[in-house]
Amino acid sequence: MSDLAVGQVVADQEYLITRENLVRYAGASGDFNPIHWNDRVAKSVGLPGVLAHGMLTMALAGRLLTDWVGDPAAVVEYSVRFSRPVVVPDDDHGVAVHVAATVTDVRPDGLVAVELAVKVDEQKVLTQARALARPPQR
Amino acid sequence: MAIDASAVGRVYPPQPYEVSREKVREFAEAIGDMNPVYVDVEAARQHSHDEVVAPPTFVMIPVMRGFDILMEDLGIEFARVVHVDQRFTYSRPLIVGDRLETTTTLDAIRQVAGNDLLTIRNDVRAAESEHVCTAQATLLIRPEENGDV
Repeated sequence: MSDLAVGQVVADQEYLITRENLVRYAGASGDFNPIHWNDRVAKSVGLPGVLAHGMLTMALAGRLLTDWVGDPAAVVEYSVRFSRPVVVPDDDHGVAVHVAATVTDVRPDGLVAVELAVKVDEQKVLTQARALARPPQR
Repeated sequence: MAIDASAVGRVYPPQPYEVSREKVREFAEAIGDMNPVYVDVEAARQHSHDEVVAPPTFVMIPVMRGFDILMEDLGIEFARVVHVDQRFTYSRPLIVGDRLETTTTLDAIRQVAGNDLLTIRNDVRAAESEHVCTAQATLLIRPEENGDV
């Protein structure tokens, strides 16, 4: 049986996203939309600047999940809503994305539901970020 | 122009995708994930996997191929698309050597404030139709002439 309790924060981490990360993610994922690497194009479509791929932010929050459970196979469901764009400045530091996972349900079948708080400057960039997973064995 | 409502229910031909060791490594490195199960067979075996597995969101690579044929069919340019939400339901992780087929279905179209909202389902299956993952997405399609930006 799991010793997890509803409301418990099981993982908490900050990730930095730099322009270099966007270039690497574009190549790895095949998503070459220029709003993720070209300031000129981003501004021309009314954006404040180059944005992180929503799927990259989802992947970073997913890292928190798989680091917690250990085995990626333990993640049964994972969903997010992309609620706010993540602007990535053209500097050496990048933008900090803070992710925390809180238990929302411990089910009789052994699966645990968690809610992910994914924030930049205290504002949520993903909402309804939820996962269902088999928790790590202690 | 709104998207043709009669397209709802359309199912697109399955798109093949083979999961390769180097692509999984490249993807894991791109998201900065150092978990050895993405690169080291021995580490994967400790979790009872026969081969290296892929990070959960790696499945978006085959899913994007499904999006591509749907958008081509409906005449939607990439630049008009905003990803609203994404859900993955897994039967198992993707594993190196998987020969996948992704079937894309247009489940619904709604109009909201002059935009089209498409609900799209991608079913990712391995050999002998084994279910691997279902990916459900909402994409917002901005109108073709976008004079207010």
